[in-house]
Order: sequence, then structure tokens, then C-alpha cells
Amino acid sequence: MSEPLCPVRSTIDQIERICQSNALVNPKSRRITEEILELLNDVAWGRAGSDHLSSIKALGEELAQHDNKPECTRVAQLVEDAVTVHLETFESHVRTHNCATGECVKLAPAPCQMACPAGIDVPTYVTLIGMGHDAEAISVIRKDNPFPWVCGLVCTRPCEMMCVRGRMDEPVSIKFLKAFAAERAMSERSYQNPPKAPDKGRKVAIVGAGPAGMSAAYYLALKGYGVEVFEDLPMAGGMIMVGIPRYRLPREVIDREVGMLEELGVVFHFNTRFGRDVTLNSLKDAGFEAFFIAIGAHGSFRLNIPGESDYPRVSDAISLLKKVALGDRNIPGRRVVVVGGGNVAIDAARTCLRLGCESVTIAYRRTRNEMPADIEEIEQAEEEGIEITFLTIPVAVEGKDGQVTGLRCLRAKLVVKEGTDRLYPKPVEGSEFVLPADAVIAAIGQQVQTECLQTVEGLHWSRRQTIGVDLACMQTDLPGVFAAGDAVTGPATVIEAIGGGKRAAEAIDRHLSGLPQPKMPPVPVRRARTPWIEMTAAEKAGRRRPEMPLLNIDRRRLMFQQVELGYSEDDVRREAGRCLRCDICRRCGLCVEICRDRMKIGALHFGYMNFDQPGPTDLKITEKKCILCGACAANCPNEAIRIEDRNGERILSLCGTILNRRPLITCADCGAVIGTEAYIQHMNRKILAAEQTIDTVYRCAECHRKHQAQLSVDLARL
Amino acid sequence: MTFRKGQRVELFRESRDESWEAYMREYIGCHGVVTDPDTSINDPDALVEVSLEGKGTHRFPQDCLRPLE
Repeated sequence: MSEPLCPVRSTIDQIERICQSNALVNPKSRRITEEILELLNDVAWGRAGSDHLSSIKALGEELAQHDNKPECTRVAQLVEDAVTVHLETFESHVRTHNCATGECVKLAPAPCQMACPAGIDVPTYVTLIGMGHDAEAISVIRKDNPFPWVCGLVCTRPCEMMCVRGRMDEPVSIKFLKAFAAERAMSERSYQNPPKAPDKGRKVAIVGAGPAGMSAAYYLALKGYGVEVFEDLPMAGGMIMVGIPRYRLPREVIDREVGMLEELGVVFHFNTRFGRDVTLNSLKDAGFEAFFIAIGAHGSFRLNIPGESDYPRVSDAISLLKKVALGDRNIPGRRVVVVGGGNVAIDAARTCLRLGCESVTIAYRRTRNEMPADIEEIEQAEEEGIEITFLTIPVAVEGKDGQVTGLRCLRAKLVVKEGTDRLYPKPVEGSEFVLPADAVIAAIGQQVQTECLQTVEGLHWSRRQTIGVDLACMQTDLPGVFAAGDAVTGPATVIEAIGGGKRAAEAIDRHLSGLPQPKMPPVPVRRARTPWIEMTAAEKAGRRRPEMPLLNIDRRRLMFQQVELGYSEDDVRREAGRCLRCDICRRCGLCVEICRDRMKIGALHFGYMNFDQPGPTDLKITEKKCILCGACAANCPNEAIRIEDRNGERILSLCGTILNRRPLITCADCGAVIGTEAYIQHMNRKILAAEQTIDTVYRCAECHRKHQAQLSVDLARL
Repeated sequence: MTFRKGQRVELFRESRDESWEAYMREYIGCHGVVTDPDTSINDPDALVEVSLEGKGTHRFPQDCLRPLE
């Protein structure tokens, strides 16, 4: 068995081995060591309080003074290491109930939380939403992400892709639950900022008011720094404001959540371009001690085809979306061709339709299978009447008298390029055709606009023209200068930018506090162990992910009204109950093994436990097969599976899902509980010889003995 | 190989790309799901966002990833 990676677990294992070796012969030394072990186990199981670490330290010192045998010295040394070398890890176990390695099973984050680039404690907030505690859920989310409402509408939801429920049927609709809770909490005015730390009297400058910049601003403001944000645009939001159309993300949503930052004292300077209106040196002169660059990726790749620069109505999607977001509602043309296959291409096409363009066609070089846009977005675009022409390679923009008349294209076929296994679109000779158009919009990718940072000397640029940083702490090659968001990753997701901004805020705080930076990215923090929602297995298995109601198709073609209308409250509360609570059940499979291999019953069918090869899951079969012996519950390392006697029944549940319940049998003589009928019959079959008859009157062992004794006496008298 | 959203992949080797960081060595052998396939449309050079089981979500160069299905 390999040594644990977690210092807490490792310390426990080593001290346990010393105890088991019987090397501690002095009774007092044994007692002190056992007390240390007990306290260490409290740390590993999330039961420790603020005095635990100091008590462990004091006991270690007492042991060292009392007994100088090598084993005692070793225990004392282990304790010394725990409270010095590994102090941070021990503290994270105590304060945040977090074990980064997952070896202290009760404290390990769930797969959805691990998958979230911002590390949001998903099971906790989903359960709170299920209980109707929306404001509390929002508080939990905002510990890791200051924009729950924005993300509830536009997140790419990596959490749902790792959702264990998705191995059973469909993942929990985490994103939409978050949107509902944020909207409800905001509407009820219970969406509030946490208290901020006292003012530190130190200033941090943030360049860019996008999701990364504003996330860093939020967490730094909470830590008591004076934060000022410098933004080129006339409003906050960055790409979520000017890159995402209003029918997906209404402006009010952004404004409301930005307003929460202003409430914390974050100062915004709009229409202020870095490199032109302010520079690194001017900001240093103004007293800023750390800098965070989050300028996004607002540049577009060009098509590089003839005619592209010859006509005014050839533009790029980012410019179009930005103009529309800033209030320009002129149509780009009557017949528009959008080139590209990503979400930006879909956004541009759907925006053109809403502006009043008569026809909108998306030209994409590959097939539907290769389209990187979200499937929901593609489907919604097609529903609205946008045509997508696949295997189409643009070769020239055609025009007359300064006006675009069409996009000359070639048909393509997908071929495997030599030396790779990637399919490339190869033009088909003689397949030329013209897509009639009076406007062409390129949406083939974005890049960082580097011009504004040219005055910053010593910044490392990657070959992808993104800012080079240490990803563990988002620090650039320049001391005190940090960067995150699309400027570092290239055009990526909102939640990655938020996660990067949060990470940078932590690193800036360390930098200004004179602490060393971490060498690994942070592991998400468990925020709570919320009680589960109880329901039957049939209910748990039978609930289906609700469909998102959409705006009617006519309005979707005509206006920028939000398309996804949101779940009803009933749907939200029910949907939250589908969560399997993977923060509690760690899917170790011990219960399944014991039931199948040791008890030879096989009542637990949890196929979702295997990540690589999930099998079928049947929560309802347990009721038919389970004898309620309790072996699974007794061996569950995390108290996820439980057996309890309640109201005359024995109940087996997994994270609140009642897998089986049977009436309890009591002793016919003394009334003591002796189990369920299925369990007694199972044990009788195992224990009694085949020829013995099974007594239909149930007695506890003590009463059975007395009864048998009485029978013997009676027989002897006969 | 064009990576698709939702595809299961293995991080099977170290990458020679400059975006590879030393701490990523710990993830070699891990399995995960592609959560965002491209930072640029279908670019073989683009970084791919992958959520690794138990190890979090990261962007990796494509040469260190292979599909599991």
C-alpha cells in the first residue's frame, strides 16, 4: 500500500503503526500518544476546532519531555512537523474542512466541485436551493464566484459534464438552479455582500473590467485592499457585456452583480485605456503596489481571402457584437453570411437575425459533428431560421461598386492529413459556388490585442500571443504584476476567467503580505456539509431533468428578449433533489463489495460509481433484495450509507435516498428489537441446520435461551 | 484528432508545448472529460480544457491527450 499524500493522513498512519508495534511501553507515553491520535483523527474527519492544533502541539512537547525513547521522539517529531512544516494543510482541514488529496474522505470535494474552474461547492449550494434557502446558496457560491447570476445563464458548465448523476441518466441542471437562486435572492434583496476585512491601506490596480478583473477586484476588496479598475469600454463586464448577446445574458444581470462590487468600494474608471490613458509607471506613481492585467481577447482573426479588405460590409463577429451591445442597432446587411462554427459565430448570426436581416447563413468548413458551438445554441439558431452550410470553405469576397455581392466558396471533404489523425477539410476541385450576400462576418477565432501592453517591458508573451504566467499563482515575469482571463488562456470560458481572477487575488494578497506563492493550483474548498434531502429511491430515480422553457419563436426572431425563460420554482426544488450528494458518498464501492461478496446478497446496484465504465444503476432493486443487515452502513467510511430504526421500521438510506425500509420485529417475550423478518430468516437459514424448523415466533437471543431452557425443563418433567 | 466536448480522454504523456507546467506531471495517467475543446476553432495547436477525475479542470496542449473511446 502506498504512503498517503495527505500529511494529516500520513501522520495518523505513522503514529498508528508505532502504537500497534507495542513499542510505547510507558503507560503515560501511550496515553499521550493515543490522545494525539484522537485529536489527529478529529482533524481528518472534520471534527476539529480552533484549539486542536495547539493541543496537539502541547501534547507532542509533553511527550518529548516525558520520555526520550526513540519511538516517543519519533511521535514528537511527527507532531512537530505537523504543526510547523504542514501547518497550512492542517489548518485547511480544520478551518475549511478540506483535504486536497481526498484521502481524508469526509473532507474531499465532489467531482462537480473539482471540475469547476472556480471550485464552487456545488453539492452544498444545490442542496440549499433544494431546501429553498436561495440566499444562503448564493452566499456559498460567492465564496468562489462573485457572479452566480451571470454564470447561471452563460456558464459552459464543466460541473455538469462530471456530474455523477449523468452516469445514471442526465446530469443535475446545476447551471439553471444557480440562475434561479441568484434571481430569487436578488429580487428578495437577500443577495448580499459578505462583510469585508478592515482597510489595509494598500492599493491594487486592475486592468480590465471583465469577469477575471472583476473577480479579482471582488476578492481583493473583501480582503481590505483599495481596488481600482481601469476599463477601456464605457461600462463594466468586458466580454460578457460586449461579446455575449442580450438574449442570452440581459444587461441588468451584469449591472446588478457589478453593483455589488461597487457596494464593496471597488472604484471603476471607464473609457480609460491602459497604455494610452494610464501606464504601469503612472499607476505605480499613483501608489498602486500590485497590478492585475485582464484585458481579454477582443481581437479577431482575419479570413485572409481576396476581397476581405475591399468592402465596408466585411467585418468580424466581435466588432459586430460589441457595436450592438453598445447600442448600435443598424443591420450589417440584408443577406448575411457568417463564417465560423463556434459559439461566437452562432451569437453573431442570431444577433443579425434579431437586428432584422432577411437571411442569415453560417458557412462552416467541417460538418456538424466538428462544430465547437454548444449543441443547444446550434439547435436554437436553426429553430430561429438560421441556415448552416457545412463543408464550405470561403475563398473570396465578391462585390461590385464597393458593395459585397456574395461569398465565393468551395465545397470540402474531410480527409486525414498525413502524419495526423485529425480530419481536415480539403477543397473539392470544381465545386466553386457563390453564397449570395451583402455582408460577410468572420467568426473564426479571437486573439489578445497586445498593443496596449507594449509599453510594459519584461512581460513574457507565449507563442500563442497570450501573456505568460505561472498558472499556480497567475504571476507574470514582472514582480507584482499578475494576469488571468482570456489574455492568458486565449479566448476561453467565463468560469475559467473567474477562477483565474480568484486565484490571482489570492496570489496578490500573498505577494503583498510577503508570503511565498504556491507551486500547484489551489484545490477547491468544501464550504459545508449540508444535511441531505430525504426521499424514496423510486422518487430519486424517477425524477427527470426538466426542459428549459423558451421564448416563443416569433419573438426570438424579432427581439433581444431573454430566450431561456428559467425553471419554475417547483422544477427547481425537485431538480435539486436529484443530486446524489457526491460530497458525502465518495463512491469507494465498499458497500457494494460487502453486500455482494461478504454477505452474498448483491442488493446494491450503483453502476455510476465507476468513472471509466459506468454500469447500470438500479436504486429500486435494493428494496427487493436487501435484508437490512446493516453491513454496508457499518463499513461506510463516510457515513453516507446509514441504517436506523425509526417509528417501528428499519430504514437503509444512502445520502438521504431511502433504499429500503421494513417493519421491525420485536421479541415476543421482552419486546426488544431483533431486526427485520428478512434479516432473521436469512440468519436462520445460515445458522440453523436444514432439518431444524424455523420458529415462527420471534424472540431475542436471551429470551430464546430462556424459552429453550424452559422447554427442556418441561420435557424432563414429562 | 479533433476533440469533442464531452469526450473521455487520457492525459497519457508529458507535452513539449510551452504551456505545459511541471505540476501537470502529477496528472499523467489520469482520465477526464473534454469540457471545452478549442480556444480557437478546430485548431490542432489550441489548448483543450479537460476536467480530470479528482484533479480539477485544466487546459492542456492536444499532444498529451488521447481519446478513451
